[in-house]
Amino acid sequence: MKLSIRLVLVILCCAFLHSQAVDVNAQYINPKLVDKTVTIRSATILPAKVEITKESAKGSEMMVAESAEISASVMEAVGHALEKKQFTVVSNSFEPASMDDARKYTLADIQSRYDALLPKLFDKSKDIKKARFTLGDEVMLLNVHKDADVLVFIRGTGRVFTKGKTAFALVNIFSFDYPFAQFTVGLVDARTGEVLAFTKPLSATKVLKDKKALTKMIEKSLKKLPTAPAPAATAAQ
Amino acid sequence: MLPISLVLVFSLLLASLPVNARATLAVQVANRPANTAQQAKTVDQDGASTQTDNEKFVFGKVDEELLSEIKLLDERFEKEGAVYHDPGLDTYLTRVGTAVAADKKPENVEWKFRALRDPVPNAFALPNGSIYINTGLLALLEDENQLAAVVAHEITHVTQRHTYLRNRSLRKKTLAINILNTIGTWNPVTGPAGLAIDLIATISPLMLAISIFGYTKDQEREADLEGLKFATAAGFAPDGMPNSFKVMQRDLEGEQLNSLYSDHPKLQERVTYTSSCIAADARRLSNDEAKHAKDDYLAVMEAVDRHDVELAINAGRFRSAVFVSQKLVDMRPESSENIFYLAESYRMLGPRNAQLTEKQLTSGEKKKAAKTRNKRTVEEIEAELLKTPAGQEAWKANSEKAEQLFLRALELNRFNTGAHRGLGMLYEKLERKPEAASEYAKYLELAPNAIDTERVRRRLTVLRESMK
Repeated sequence: MKLSIRLVLVILCCAFLHSQAVDVNAQYINPKLVDKTVTIRSATILPAKVEITKESAKGSEMMVAESAEISASVMEAVGHALEKKQFTVVSNSFEPASMDDARKYTLADIQSRYDALLPKLFDKSKDIKKARFTLGDEVMLLNVHKDADVLVFIRGTGRVFTKGKTAFALVNIFSFDYPFAQFTVGLVDARTGEVLAFTKPLSATKVLKDKKALTKMIEKSLKKLPTAPAPAATAAQ
Repeated sequence: MLPISLVLVFSLLLASLPVNARATLAVQVANRPANTAQQAKTVDQDGASTQTDNEKFVFGKVDEELLSEIKLLDERFEKEGAVYHDPGLDTYLTRVGTAVAADKKPENVEWKFRALRDPVPNAFALPNGSIYINTGLLALLEDENQLAAVVAHEITHVTQRHTYLRNRSLRKKTLAINILNTIGTWNPVTGPAGLAIDLIATISPLMLAISIFGYTKDQEREADLEGLKFATAAGFAPDGMPNSFKVMQRDLEGEQLNSLYSDHPKLQERVTYTSSCIAADARRLSNDEAKHAKDDYLAVMEAVDRHDVELAINAGRFRSAVFVSQKLVDMRPESSENIFYLAESYRMLGPRNAQLTEKQLTSGEKKKAAKTRNKRTVEEIEAELLKTPAGQEAWKANSEKAEQLFLRALELNRFNTGAHRGLGMLYEKLERKPEAASEYAKYLELAPNAIDTERVRRRLTVLRESMK
């Protein structure tokens, strides 16, 4: 009897692990956006930081090159999603080769400020609806395009399982160990630094390989974001 | 069934320990004090590295994979603006690092010594030979001997292949933990024997996890003691090592918590065992030499210290910012720029005390403060403090001090634009709006192309509108 219950749980767990369509989207919008005190027409996407690790039965390994690739894919997906919301995505060159040390440092410092705030944004996401979080007007030091209304911060983590690890995860069903990809997208007022919107889509790892699935997931995660009031401008990509 | 399961569990536990740990576990425990004395002698007598097992290190597939990932990570630090570049500092770090590394050139290692833009006092080594010292640590250290000690510690991690060994050990232990968990989940034995297996399978992974921390502590101790030899052999004063730990004991932000899972030995313990390894007749600096060494080091570090103050302020480490900028002012009291940094630090310190009280440094209070930091934003903590009489008093004192310092900086150099901007921000916070507007206007006039012109212009506009 004891074993048969375990068997049922294994089957359920297998079904969960193999259901690649599982997406969990949570979206939090600042009331200023809801009541239109603040409107967004254009956005600048800052370099994304996504960390993917490969989990084997012997532990986790870094995937630095793959993480960089996925970072680029997520930025692209967010860009598409914002354009669908009629936002103009203002291009800003944050390519390392095109920046001098001072600009690199400024960008790194603003990213650090966001990283320091991120755990609070993640744990107390509902407080975004109370307009609780800000990065301060230091964000203006980035001197992004003057038309940019918001800065978009993208973060992500993901765990890709090897076959061995998958086998262990299936066998040890009670460890609740499973592969996933978790992203966060934060929209921050480019002048005041106030966090205007925050989403944290969680998905199975399919999105790491399938760009279409990734774009779809990001689009869904930004569903509640109000559309830009003005007619769509040409993307300045 | 029972004996087979038990044998399996114990074999896994044994197999997960590193080979040398298995063989020498008992010997190490018994001989530790003697080993320390022996190492003291070695430092004193030959000063050079002794033959170690790691010189025979053979790269496996796993190590090569780790190395290639590490190389990419190293490049990423550079791309993301994490590395601080200053030609003078780079040359200086390379000189000290190369002296300590001497002729050590292990396979797949290319020595690079760099400063990392991070105000937290720390340093680390990547197994490809890249040694990073945080600006927060460079600003805290007092002389070149301490820097050489830190570099030597990190070099030892590389020469002794600690990262690879840790990775190998971790992989074995993780596999063992996974197998033990499986045994625990699918244990077919019932009754007391089954209970015993369940118990072992539950406790063993925990023991293995704890042993990971114990293993890294042993490596840290080895890095301290071998590093001491390397630094001494390179001609640096040996007491640089214990002194660097003493400097790190300054808990400026009240964040050093004793944790069961710490991967480093306690700092006081490190001071004691490294001090005991230094021979009584070892070279020590005279007071004059020590003063010169300190002055020379501070002069080299002036630019990086200023940069670190900015980083510390950005990271909300205001007490560290005050400490470092005060050091800068003590070194050159007539420097308008250094005074400006101290003024900025006091302005940002707001309603906090510049130094933590004894009560705030107790373990309980530090844990409480850490919890608050996790829950509240810097602005919220500041607003709460301002509601208390102590906070108001501190803000009054800090804002007065900041104002005096900004004015002094301007007295020494009326073109110190940062001082105008700082005064503007201070007056704005103090609700002295006309003065704030005037300072912002001066800033914009003197620095029309500065990086934060738009930011200040916006502040001025908002301020003027609120004054209407």
